Amino acid sequence: MVFLKEGLCPGLTEEFIQNMRTKNIRTVEDLVSSDTEELAQKCSVSYNVLVAVRRVLLAQHTAFPVSGADLYEELLSCTAILSTGNASLDKLLDTGLYTGELTELVGTPGSGKTQVCFGVAANLSCRLKQSVLYIDSSGGLSATRLFEMTKAKTSSMEEQMEALQRIEVAQVFDVFSLLECLHNLKSGGFQQVSAGGGTLKAVIVDSVTTVLSHILGGKQTDGLSLIMQVAGELRTIAKDLNVAVLLTNHVTRDGNGILKAGLGLSWSHVPRTRILLECMEKSGSAYSGLRTATLIKSSRQQCNLIQDFDLNSWCETEVELPGPSGKRKLVDEDPHQA
Amino acid sequence: MSHRHSSSAESGAQLLARLEGRRSLENIEPLLFPKDSGPVNGDVVEFHGGEGTGKTEALYHLVARCILPEASGGLEAEVAFVDTDYHLDTLRLVAVLERRLPAGSEDAVRASLARLYVVHCGSGAQLLLTLHYLEGMFCSRPSLSALVLDSVSAFYWVDRANGGESLALQEANLRKCTKVLERLLRERGAMVFATVQAVMRKYESEGPVGSLSRGRQAPARADLSKVYLCRAWQGIVTHRLYFSKDDAADGKRIFSVASSCSRTKSAGRCSFHVTDGGIQFL
Repeated sequence: MVFLKEGLCPGLTEEFIQNMRTKNIRTVEDLVSSDTEELAQKCSVSYNVLVAVRRVLLAQHTAFPVSGADLYEELLSCTAILSTGNASLDKLLDTGLYTGELTELVGTPGSGKTQVCFGVAANLSCRLKQSVLYIDSSGGLSATRLFEMTKAKTSSMEEQMEALQRIEVAQVFDVFSLLECLHNLKSGGFQQVSAGGGTLKAVIVDSVTTVLSHILGGKQTDGLSLIMQVAGELRTIAKDLNVAVLLTNHVTRDGNGILKAGLGLSWSHVPRTRILLECMEKSGSAYSGLRTATLIKSSRQQCNLIQDFDLNSWCETEVELPGPSGKRKLVDEDPHQA
Repeated sequence: MSHRHSSSAESGAQLLARLEGRRSLENIEPLLFPKDSGPVNGDVVEFHGGEGTGKTEALYHLVARCILPEASGGLEAEVAFVDTDYHLDTLRLVAVLERRLPAGSEDAVRASLARLYVVHCGSGAQLLLTLHYLEGMFCSRPSLSALVLDSVSAFYWVDRANGGESLALQEANLRKCTKVLERLLRERGAMVFATVQAVMRKYESEGPVGSLSRGRQAPARADLSKVYLCRAWQGIVTHRLYFSKDDAADGKRIFSVASSCSRTKSAGRCSFHVTDGGIQFL
């Protein structure tokens, strides 16, 4: 909603606005939607002035159409695919996290969502030398663990420190500070902060559930409205700043006992790609780092692809050859997976 | 170039081209609609379905059909794509186009894409203003034939919360948008494709609006077909497509579409696979 104000465009004088207000025209939307001819007669303003004002306001506030060919050209020149640092996950994601898109990790507590986020952050900052904004809303960020992962990538103390500097951490504990953080990011607040060099390529939010789930319920509309606003912000950031957004979310069971992503149906449309993390069914595997990842939503690959991986793979030093350490590839499809 | 600046001196032939020459999109995809009642210019097709049920794929299929050159089985028409969800995956659309064009025709892909105009909208108010703007664009470009809205339901919850207690205020924005669309359909003869995300379940004993399935025993097959957008919008929709998905035994996912046309009161059903090169009807 944009209120009519003096100086918004030439011709929009105080008198003109007062005149409009008597006819209940207060916002740009009201003015544009009204019948120009009728309005000119009722308010006794010049038809030509009204048409000119309407045209300028429309040009100022409308989203401008871009030719698909230009969009494609732009996409080809600036889309990056960021490796997660784990071959199995990269395979599910069709070689990595795409900039401009939202990817969601879902899983029960202890299924390794946060660990994957650490791993991705460490890989981006160490190997790819890019900046990462890590929005921690659950207090689950462990600096020692991140340091461990960077140590595995490089032995030079200097490089480790540089890498850690490229990971900017923001702690938010409610939805309003999350929105504020995203607004800041959009208005260019991050560029000044990041000192470690490299451009911002990824935003990680771990987790969206902790700040969003409790505002659901009751009369619904307020909570859902905030959730959709967060979704909108994340999507515009992904597109406009050309960064990859990685989210974590919890799971619920549907009527048939099948795991599905939390936060309800409206949220389910938000991420482009969704991966379900689970502990392996073998006993005791919760304590080891072995996990299975299932692709449950994708516009690029067939869904229900399953891969096994090891959470500890980010802590292993790079010289090690891919041995039996969780880099095995399993069968591709199993639609009956519970 | 000169004729562009002298729009006041339009010839009769140009006027006719402008008023009547909008390319007919009849037969855009007969398989998707009930027999003999596919959409014609001035119709609104609603794509309704839950997450991952193939709405977007079907949309790309139709967009590709519109913008491809006639030689490759397209209609060579221009399309305006209003992306309110920031959801358009250009790479995917290119993959669909490439599959239908002869190999190695990068230029043809670009030429086809040049017939597509993309607008990103971030708020309900911006959507309304953009529709007004597009109205002017449809007026000046007779080759522009279809408008795609992906999705109409994007600002539903935000509008609901902004409207306070009054339902009329909650729905005000979509109602205004519908009014512009109505003009676009009636006076400019555009065809509109719009997606609606299924975000509400239908229960036997119609529960409170908007309640999600939390803590409730969902029916064996969740019925997501509940209509929830405002009546004004329902009033202009002429064709409805309900999307759903099934897992087939061989692991290949089958998407099915139940279509209905309010004009001829006919209904149809079809199903498709999604392949690398777009959808493939069964």
